[in-house]
Amino acid sequence: MASVHESLYFNPMMTNGVVHANVFGVKDWVTPYKITVLMLLDEMTISTSITLLDRRRLNKLILPLLQSPDMTLSQLIKTVEDSCPQLAYTVHLRLQLMADGELKDMEHFFDMLPSPFNETESEAHKTSVVGLFMRHMVLAYNKLSFSQVYKLYTALQQYYQSYERKDSPAAEPAEDTDMELTNTEELGGKMEKEELDLEPSDDEVSTRGPLSQKQAEYFLAQQAYLLKNDENKALDPAALQKELNNMLKFNPDFAEAHYLSYLNSMRVQDIFNSTDSLLHYFDRLILPGGDSKSNGDEGCGRSLRYAALNLAALHCRFGHYQQAELALQEAIRIAQESNDHVCLQHCLSWLYLLEQMKGSDSTLTEHAVKMAVHFCLPYLASLGIQSLVQQGAVGGKTANKLMDALKDTDLLHWKHSLSELIDISIAQKTAIWRMYGKSTMALQQAQVLLSMNSLEPVNLGVQQNNSEAFAVALCHLSELHAEQGLFAAASEILKHLRERFPPHSQHAKLWMLCDQKIQFDRAMNDGKYHMADSLVVGIAALSKTEGLYRKALVLKAQNQTTEAYKVLQRLLLYCEKIKGTEMTIRVMLSLAELHWSSSCHAVALPLLLRSLAVSREYHLQYLASECILHLAFSQLMLGIPEQALNILHMAIEPILAHGALLDKGRAMLLVAKCQIVTASSEPSKQQKTQALEVAVQNLEEAGTYFTKVDCKERVRDIYYLQARLYHSLGKTAERNKCAMLFRQHNQELPSQGVPLITRL
Amino acid sequence: MAALSSQFADLVEIKKQLTVIIALCRERGLMHSVKWASELAFALDPLPMNELPPPPPFTEEDAQDLDAYSLAKSFFDLKEYDRAAYFLRGCRSQKAYFLYMYSRYLSGEKKKDDETVDSLGPLEKGQVKNESLRELRVELSKKHKARELDGFGLYLYGVVLRKLDLLKEAIDVFVEATHCLPLHWGAWLELCNLVENKEMLKSMSFPDTWMKDFFLAHIYTEMQMIEEALQKYQSLINVGFSKSTYIISQIAVAYHNIRDIDKALSMFNELREQDPYRIENMDTFSNLLYVRTMKPELSYLAHNLCDIDKYRVETCCVIGNYYSLRSQHEKAALYFQRALKLNPRCLGAWTLMGHEYMEMKNTSAAIQAYRHAIEVNKRDYRAWYGLGQTYEILKMPFYCLYYYRRAHQLRPNDSRMLVALGECYEKLNQLVEATKCYWRAYSVGDVERMALVKLAKLHEQLNESDHPAQCYVIYIKEIFECGELMEQVELSTAFRYLGQYYFKNKQYDDASICAQRCCNYNDAREEGKSLLRQISQVRGQGETSSSDLSLPFIFGPLSAKNTPVRRMSPLNLSSVTP
Repeated sequence: MASVHESLYFNPMMTNGVVHANVFGVKDWVTPYKITVLMLLDEMTISTSITLLDRRRLNKLILPLLQSPDMTLSQLIKTVEDSCPQLAYTVHLRLQLMADGELKDMEHFFDMLPSPFNETESEAHKTSVVGLFMRHMVLAYNKLSFSQVYKLYTALQQYYQSYERKDSPAAEPAEDTDMELTNTEELGGKMEKEELDLEPSDDEVSTRGPLSQKQAEYFLAQQAYLLKNDENKALDPAALQKELNNMLKFNPDFAEAHYLSYLNSMRVQDIFNSTDSLLHYFDRLILPGGDSKSNGDEGCGRSLRYAALNLAALHCRFGHYQQAELALQEAIRIAQESNDHVCLQHCLSWLYLLEQMKGSDSTLTEHAVKMAVHFCLPYLASLGIQSLVQQGAVGGKTANKLMDALKDTDLLHWKHSLSELIDISIAQKTAIWRMYGKSTMALQQAQVLLSMNSLEPVNLGVQQNNSEAFAVALCHLSELHAEQGLFAAASEILKHLRERFPPHSQHAKLWMLCDQKIQFDRAMNDGKYHMADSLVVGIAALSKTEGLYRKALVLKAQNQTTEAYKVLQRLLLYCEKIKGTEMTIRVMLSLAELHWSSSCHAVALPLLLRSLAVSREYHLQYLASECILHLAFSQLMLGIPEQALNILHMAIEPILAHGALLDKGRAMLLVAKCQIVTASSEPSKQQKTQALEVAVQNLEEAGTYFTKVDCKERVRDIYYLQARLYHSLGKTAERNKCAMLFRQHNQELPSQGVPLITRL
Repeated sequence: MAALSSQFADLVEIKKQLTVIIALCRERGLMHSVKWASELAFALDPLPMNELPPPPPFTEEDAQDLDAYSLAKSFFDLKEYDRAAYFLRGCRSQKAYFLYMYSRYLSGEKKKDDETVDSLGPLEKGQVKNESLRELRVELSKKHKARELDGFGLYLYGVVLRKLDLLKEAIDVFVEATHCLPLHWGAWLELCNLVENKEMLKSMSFPDTWMKDFFLAHIYTEMQMIEEALQKYQSLINVGFSKSTYIISQIAVAYHNIRDIDKALSMFNELREQDPYRIENMDTFSNLLYVRTMKPELSYLAHNLCDIDKYRVETCCVIGNYYSLRSQHEKAALYFQRALKLNPRCLGAWTLMGHEYMEMKNTSAAIQAYRHAIEVNKRDYRAWYGLGQTYEILKMPFYCLYYYRRAHQLRPNDSRMLVALGECYEKLNQLVEATKCYWRAYSVGDVERMALVKLAKLHEQLNESDHPAQCYVIYIKEIFECGELMEQVELSTAFRYLGQYYFKNKQYDDASICAQRCCNYNDAREEGKSLLRQISQVRGQGETSSSDLSLPFIFGPLSAKNTPVRRMSPLNLSSVTP
């Protein structure tokens, strides 16, 4: 009894302990579905009455039909009907004849099938897809044993009958004649329904029939492609895993499925399953020794190297840098031992990446690029160059060199049609322009990326557009829009990002951070500091430095100067350590502002000068103008407004050209203030009035900027200044209007501690 | 724990029950249960003539079905299941009904196996199903709801549910079956396979009969709760089942599981004496012989089993072990393959085959074999360990960490995995991790006694002076307690280090003792002598009191006095040998 209990599990494809899939070349076999497809093909060759248009549609249909998993008859007939109803009917009829007939009908069908092998005039050439399929089928059919042929025939009958049964109740509802028959089955049906509740997937799978090796491979390839390029179109993780488990349960040797399962587990950040699947894949993977002159042992070694490398990649993805490094060392050692330069090259790239992630500088890249070029690995080479560019941009290399390098890599990309890298390159350009403070250029580059068609052959209606590059470009785009006060557009972009990169996916953190930053800025503008404070936690979770910085901003705004100072000092040290230039400058500016609030304008000056020097050194034009703005303000407060106006001229142009609305407003306000102060020292009254008029105009402009970004407090201050100016100009009507507006605003807003004079 | 059911007082009654159940099971073709019950019955004293239980009552229905039943039973015995089912289809009696359903079930299973061979491709294999299972389930559940099933019917219903992967329902039905007919061992055995952990076991309620004790003992063995299992079996023997071969074999397997090799060997020898033609469990026996490298015994066993039946999985495994011991690994692998052909789900054979391929340096084949073993049973720690070893041989210490960890998870108290993990960490230059592993390995009871030496060397590498000394002291103590003096190299290094250590710490008495011990070993003799010379020099300079160098070696003072014995970690308290 025991032996009967155990199902037979032995794999006949095992020689010398190693399982070779497909020793017998069993890739495909005959199923009822395939017989129907064969009939369809046969009909297509026989029938002469099909119109050209129909024929074209049918031809387009063939490949999906051959590759897809088995469909039910009703599905199949429906698909064919969409192209050519007449043909669907004939196929249906032929199948009916065969199913209602005898076994010999099927045998006859296979005998009569025009073999593309011997008939030269046959439409299907023997090496064409269709010809290959037909030959496969005929071969598979001829290999069937006696009992298998009969099994196939009964399967065919069932296949047809299940279609008929599904069809008939719709055609003749409430049929009484075979009530008794259904009655006896009803109990069984009920039971099955119960079972359906228990395991619905099982039923679903079984209706689709077993996948042949080919179909399974196609399924895996398709899903893997979708995972890479458009995750949302792939099966959702749970369903995919179920499908894979089903596939693996009965054919554990199907190594590729393990790899897909690894990818799938990575999607949901499941480290246990992904490690398990990855290692399982490489345990199962025995590279075919015959593909090169290398013997079996060499093949095995090859897979080992890549196994270690993949493990390193996995740990890296989960942020286990130490483990990743250990695995990488192992991969490097094995690759070195076997002189595999290509693998070594991959290892080197990863090593560089790891070093970068751990935050240490390295000179590996340049070396890596040279080697990659030497071994003709364009992908790795330009990836290396891109890393170099990034490094250079952060390290303050001159822009023309960087752009030159990017142009060179672009040449390489287009030559090898590496569309993925083209995307990255454009996204990188966007980021670099943005960093330099040229928002118009950044905007343009982001648009270029979004409106570019992918180079990949348009497959399955998927465009390669859920890569990191797209996420980065879109994030920049939304931030740029928010800066210009176009909040609706920004949130629209964010909504799109949310759809395209659902929160569990890999690049979701990018847009999450971006979203929170925009919200934070809005809250700060609006003076809702408590709201901003609540956002800080979220930002800190995604980026530590950014979170700390924003925390300091909130503290500063709430007049908790000491705490803000502490945080900023800590942040400054940290930023200098990790060489985050941009953040360092911003922190220094904030520190200077803190000094202002305690009226130590002279103390702020060296800080500001230092930050100006740094931002000039790193070509951060926008931050440089920001520094100048701060400097000018300090000078104004120190009582040298002429000097302030002088240097303001340097900053005002770039700010008006590229700056955010808020900064534009601040700049104009500062200009106006300087003008007011200088006006008082004007000798003649006329000149004085003229200067004040200009100041009023500038204030007006600043006011419009502030209103656009909902900066109510600043708007109030503007009204106040305007009212005072009008007063001194003697324009009572205007003065009264401004005063009224000021009063309205002032009633809405709680009074803040920071007086407007000591604010930039 | 060891308290048994009070029913064991009346062995005659038990014997009677056994006799009855044997007859019942035989009528229904449940041969494994018959075998088990008969084995037990044989262990008890024979009943006198007048005590023999009467044959089961014969009802009207039984009489009606008698002819159909006898015909069908003969077909059933000849494995013509469909034919048997055909002649039983109209029968009303419980007995005939069971046989009817059972033949349908077996027929389905048999056809399924035939189909699998005949199936079209590897991916289709999974689609082969026992077609009759669904029908059987529908019919049986109807009867179950109407409470028309007897104990045997419930058992069959449970088997059908299990085959349909409805495990929870299956467990409920099996428990019901044990309540309904506690004497049927088959139902208990099925439960053994379905119950996964202790909590699950505790949450179930079983009938309070003497069968429950056998069941608990069996399941404790399965769950590696060896202590409890051994207690149970011992008390069963005390009660009067001392002659039962079943119990002896179970005890032997239990000893094997905790690697108490001597006791296991003696139990197996006893088993062989009582039941010389037994083939079951002999693969385990051969594993033990293999571990002890008892070539002649293994050879005798292999030849003997081959005489009895050479087409049994166990025989093939024994022969494989035999060839492996003789370093004929190709042949060994061949025999393990044969075992797998006989029963592809035979777990041990996959793992053993992996070991053989390892010996043959065919790593990829070894990996595949181990993977197959894991496929069959995810909890096979030997296969995980084997995979780890394979990758270690391929010089991938980081890669194999994962596998060793898996093995360690399954056997948290097995020092071998911990030592292996430690070695890997050592290779990866993660010395702190490695020390943790070695210390833990020592704490759970190190079998190979290597952990301490390795730990000491590691501490030496980390430039700590006290820790290595402690480790060496404990190591030396343990070796001397065991009375085994095989690992001379390590002992000499231990003494050499300790000598230097005490010398540095100016504990000259201890140092000189160690130096003297060093002189006993070839490789450390010179150093020992030079150390002795140094000591006498220092002593000559410093104190005049020259202690007698010919002090006979007493190990006591060495560790008792000044050596800082490392504080025992709390782990050590639970040093239960796995």
